[in-house]
Amino acid sequence: MILMPELWNGSSPIWFAVGLVIIAYLAIFRRPKPAQFFALTLGLGFMTLAYVSPIGYLADGYVFSAHMVQHLLMLLIVPLCLVLSLPKDQLKSWFHSTGRLSTLKIISLIGWTGGVGAMWFWHVPSLCSISTESPLLGIVRDASFLLAGIAFWWPIYGPLKRTRLEPPVGIIYLFSACLGCTLLGIYITFTTTTVCPVFANPADSFGVMSRLSAAGLTPAVDQNLGGLLMWVPPCLLYVSAIISLLGRWYTNAEHDHSVSGVAGAT
Amino acid sequence: MTDPLLKPDSHETKPDWGLMSWICSVDHKRIGIMYMLLAVFFLLVGGFEALLIRVQLATPMNDFVSPQMYNQLFTLHGTTMIFLVGMPVFTGFSNFIVPLMIGAKDVAFPRLNAMSFWMLPFGGALLYFSFFTGSAPDAGWFSYAPLSTRPFSSLPGVDYWIIGLAVMGIGSISGAINIVATVMCCRAPGMSMQRVPLFVWIMFMQAILIVITIPPLNSAIAMLLIDRWLGAAFFEPARGGSALLWQHFFWMFGHPEVYVFALPSFAIVSEVIPVFSRKPIYGYAFVAGSSTVIVLLSYTVWAHHMFAVGLGMGPNIFFAAATLLIALPTGVKIFNWTATLWGGSIRFTTAMMFAIAFLVQFVIGGLTGIMFAAVPVDWQLTDTYFVVAHFHYVLVGGIVFSLFAATYYWFPKITGRMLDERLGKLQFWLWVIGFNGTFGIQHFLGLMGMPRRVYQFADNPGWAVCNAISSAGAVLMAVGTLVLIWNIWRSLRNGKTSGVNPWQAFTLEWATSSPPPLENFDRIPEIRSRRPVWDLDHPELADWKTEKTPEDKGSRPSPAKTAAWAFVISEAIFFILLLVSYVVFNSGKTAEGPTANTVLDVNRTGFFTLVLLSSSLTFWIAERYLRRTNMRAFQLWLSFTILLGCIFIGGQVWEYYGLISSGVTINRNLFASTFFTVTGFHGLHVTGGIVALSIMLLMARSGYLTSKRSVVYNAVGIYWHFVDLVWIAVFSIIYLGYLQ
Amino acid sequence: MYDLFITVVLISLGIFIVVTGLIVIALWRGKKEKAIPEQDFGSSKSEIFWMTGPILILIWIFVISAKLILTMNAVPKVHPADANAEIELTVIGHQWWWEIQYGGTSIISANEIHIPVGKKVRVKVDSADVIHSFWVPQLARKMDAIPGHPNYIWLEANKEGVYQGRCAEYCGTQHTWMKFKVYVKSVADYEKWKSNAEASFTRTSQSLGKSSDSDKNKTSGKDDPNLEKGKQIFLNEGCVNCHAIDGKTTPNIGPNLSRISQRKILGAGVLSYSTENLGKWLKDPQKFKPGCKMPDFKFTDEQVDQLVTFLESLK
Repeated sequence: MILMPELWNGSSPIWFAVGLVIIAYLAIFRRPKPAQFFALTLGLGFMTLAYVSPIGYLADGYVFSAHMVQHLLMLLIVPLCLVLSLPKDQLKSWFHSTGRLSTLKIISLIGWTGGVGAMWFWHVPSLCSISTESPLLGIVRDASFLLAGIAFWWPIYGPLKRTRLEPPVGIIYLFSACLGCTLLGIYITFTTTTVCPVFANPADSFGVMSRLSAAGLTPAVDQNLGGLLMWVPPCLLYVSAIISLLGRWYTNAEHDHSVSGVAGAT
Repeated sequence: MTDPLLKPDSHETKPDWGLMSWICSVDHKRIGIMYMLLAVFFLLVGGFEALLIRVQLATPMNDFVSPQMYNQLFTLHGTTMIFLVGMPVFTGFSNFIVPLMIGAKDVAFPRLNAMSFWMLPFGGALLYFSFFTGSAPDAGWFSYAPLSTRPFSSLPGVDYWIIGLAVMGIGSISGAINIVATVMCCRAPGMSMQRVPLFVWIMFMQAILIVITIPPLNSAIAMLLIDRWLGAAFFEPARGGSALLWQHFFWMFGHPEVYVFALPSFAIVSEVIPVFSRKPIYGYAFVAGSSTVIVLLSYTVWAHHMFAVGLGMGPNIFFAAATLLIALPTGVKIFNWTATLWGGSIRFTTAMMFAIAFLVQFVIGGLTGIMFAAVPVDWQLTDTYFVVAHFHYVLVGGIVFSLFAATYYWFPKITGRMLDERLGKLQFWLWVIGFNGTFGIQHFLGLMGMPRRVYQFADNPGWAVCNAISSAGAVLMAVGTLVLIWNIWRSLRNGKTSGVNPWQAFTLEWATSSPPPLENFDRIPEIRSRRPVWDLDHPELADWKTEKTPEDKGSRPSPAKTAAWAFVISEAIFFILLLVSYVVFNSGKTAEGPTANTVLDVNRTGFFTLVLLSSSLTFWIAERYLRRTNMRAFQLWLSFTILLGCIFIGGQVWEYYGLISSGVTINRNLFASTFFTVTGFHGLHVTGGIVALSIMLLMARSGYLTSKRSVVYNAVGIYWHFVDLVWIAVFSIIYLGYLQ
Repeated sequence: MYDLFITVVLISLGIFIVVTGLIVIALWRGKKEKAIPEQDFGSSKSEIFWMTGPILILIWIFVISAKLILTMNAVPKVHPADANAEIELTVIGHQWWWEIQYGGTSIISANEIHIPVGKKVRVKVDSADVIHSFWVPQLARKMDAIPGHPNYIWLEANKEGVYQGRCAEYCGTQHTWMKFKVYVKSVADYEKWKSNAEASFTRTSQSLGKSSDSDKNKTSGKDDPNLEKGKQIFLNEGCVNCHAIDGKTTPNIGPNLSRISQRKILGAGVLSYSTENLGKWLKDPQKFKPGCKMPDFKFTDEQVDQLVTFLESLK
């Protein structure tokens, strides 16, 4: 079914946005490291897929779980890649003056509320339907996902060491976010109400829906799946991030120690 | 020992051993010992119950006990072993050992520690008092609703079970908060968080897990109690309730609870194996990190206890995956322990032998656990003796064996005397044979289809023999336990004195006398690595020369604030689950009778909401005045905060009065039940906050609370803001109808 | 299912042998050394290297069991009714017996299920009180009977015979004796059984209809005085408050007693059926199934005989 050409939206305006981002990135950072540039292309690649591939088509009022996949890409994967693509040294030289502890607190508060809040906010039944039906609101929603996602990852993987949370605090930050997703996921999975009414009776232009429901993807199963998607992949991602933080906690500090140890020896 | 200051006889005053000195003690070591003694007492009680069960099942169609008695026996056996043996014994070890290992004088809150302990015998007494009422609880340790609701368990046994568990739960949470605060705030200089011994780190993780895992149980039993006493119908399907909600809540507690037990045994083995291999633990960061991951993942696997309830394919597959996933961090540990043994120079002491038996038996228990994660296998084997065998391999073959290892390992430190190794080995072999005899055979009984929780079985081919073997094994374990008790008794009277460090162990508790003096250390050795005592003993091979660990930055958070945060997290989970039950029962279908839309006055409560929220603001203003030492303004704004809190409570009373006088009572329908439960518990918390704030005001008036001694006030503040935050969630879900 | 189980057991056995083998070798090697061994703190590379195996094995187990969950089609469709279902059955768990309703017929029975061989039977598993679990090990998966949350499973047998079934979820005092039997018959036998049972149900309800009229009562009881007395005891001494003997579904506190003489077990498995055992049971049910809902009515031997005669007449 992925091969159905009707489901691919090659003329999506997303190409334009992607091009703009690449040009801006190269113009600002001139010579990014290959790894960082790779992260950028990966992020933009996912972003393109989210709109150009069948996910983008089905997310547009047909399949709730595809809609969820699109959200997850925009809120979690793409921003993570974008944050990782920022060169550390250059940003350090730009932001060297402002540095208070409270800014870190505020940044992480914004990041957490944004990251978790965006998911909850856009799944209030009425908002979920409206934003799927109105293209303009849809753009607002997706942009807010992207921004919230960047804010969310900033205190964990941000390029500035100063605005990164200490690993133990970061673990709490990620774990509580995981709980937030879990609650929403449980709610969507097990509730009997239709979270996003648009998806209950989709108009079927290409006959995809009849094939999908023949394969067992009825609206109820679809919402079930959407809830599990909301629940499992983010939590897996958060747990992986937690593991990387633990690694950072045990190794980075060792590095600090060896530096001070050398200093002590000389 | 090379250090002359660490001689055991540096304390000349003889300690007081009288009964009152124990009851009144706030010393973490004595409280730890009392925890252990309590656990031993209930181990004998629970073990005796297990023996009666095995006697009943020794032959087919036995009439030794009545079915009622049998059901009470297995209910109490489970409840006792989990809440009155497992929880206390590990809390006891943690209480005794953790402060010693981190070089602290005591736990962060010694008095709270005593309270946590005394909750436990109180709860245990309540549980067992039910025998005198003529009906011990008999709904299983899991008390599945609706069997545990009043129509099907009309006698008070279940009520005693609920109250006993609630009391013990409070004790466990406060004890765990104490450990969290101790580890975070009381470490000796030089001991960074990345340098704590694995025992400390894993017990820290276990304490966190207790803090977040007891609340689901509390909310479930609160709802069950409201069902039973106030006539609500949370779990009564006939009146719209849900029979499955109990299972979800209970296993949300119940599965992490397995890790509450498993983690301490990991902690013990992670100390014992390295010491008796004369090597450091292999891959410290991996053992520590995998424990953290277990804590995080343990919350995602509860429904694998519910594969047979018909959850649907999606959830089944998801929980199967999560269950397999959580096997990985455990696998990491097994690998690390084996790698620690590899290339070590092994001393086969009793403690080490128990640790090795733990390793092998725990692997078996873990592997049968993985079999259950293959859901179709679970559909056949669940609720058979295969399950009984599986979890006893984890709980007994794993956890109890690790406990014996801990007993033989730390007994010299706790008492100053060595346990007899020959008797120890006798006990070891009795237990290995007895345990594997009892539970190994049960795998086959399960495969032959023998169900759990039956008091009689017909003489199907093979069943009689297997059950007889199983019962015989239980006798061996009982004899082994008597050998241990005899060993302890003998060693206490005339065992060999142990000296400071009989095992050439690595961690700080072995740097002080055995038993340690009142405030633990005369002088704490320099801590530059994870094995400070090893460094002392082998200066040329000191760890810090080869294995770099993060330096201690020296900062420690305030214990009061840490405890307040831990408490708030625990309470948050409690409220989240109550709110979940509200959403479950009030979304979708339109219930008969009153609903939020028809009986609640949103505008009026909106006003009181603003009042409550502004009290957070006034509290904050008061806090600022306190910092500027303007005590008069501080007291004024604090009084104002209390007043606002009282107005809010007044508003709630007004609302309740209106509702109740118009016939909307808690037993009316599920909306009313959930509404009163959620808002009622919140109201109780606000009231508690007002009391705390009033105490603060009194303290400020009499000069105990000053800007320099304001940390308690800050801690109360965390709680007060939290209560307001909960109300925002309550208001938006109940009054504004978000999520419906 | 069986293949999956064997695969998983073999995998587990393999892991177990490898792990114990490593431990034993480590212990053996460690036994000889006396000096301080090399202080090895571990390496991330070897950890990751050693974990790839377990990860792959777990993925393997996950894939095969997920595939089985999906292909076993373990749960029939509920709405709309599954087209594959050839026979519909409703099984209701009670404390401590099973009520069986045969879809499309008036037949109700207790603790016994009759199905034809080779047909797909859709079973609705429900409960009247607490949670039970419906389990016929040789024929189907376990499925919980949850009040307010009916579940559906397939029951399908390829071989004629008698299969054991029981309640698998703890449900109170007499959970132990909550068994049932599944009789798998040839299609012809099944049809014969079905028409017999249906005829009997019509007969019983007709004869009970007559009994409400007291005049006819006397005349119809002439052939056997015990039968008539037994009937009176059944109707007047309280039996009828809990047991139905006609095609009605209520009262269902105790099992429906129509055609009880055709059954093979009594008290959900605690006794095998015989005229003698039925008498013993009526004399004191609490002796055989302590805690069950049927009280000891303290019947005299004579009353018991009369009751037995009446109950056995319900063919």
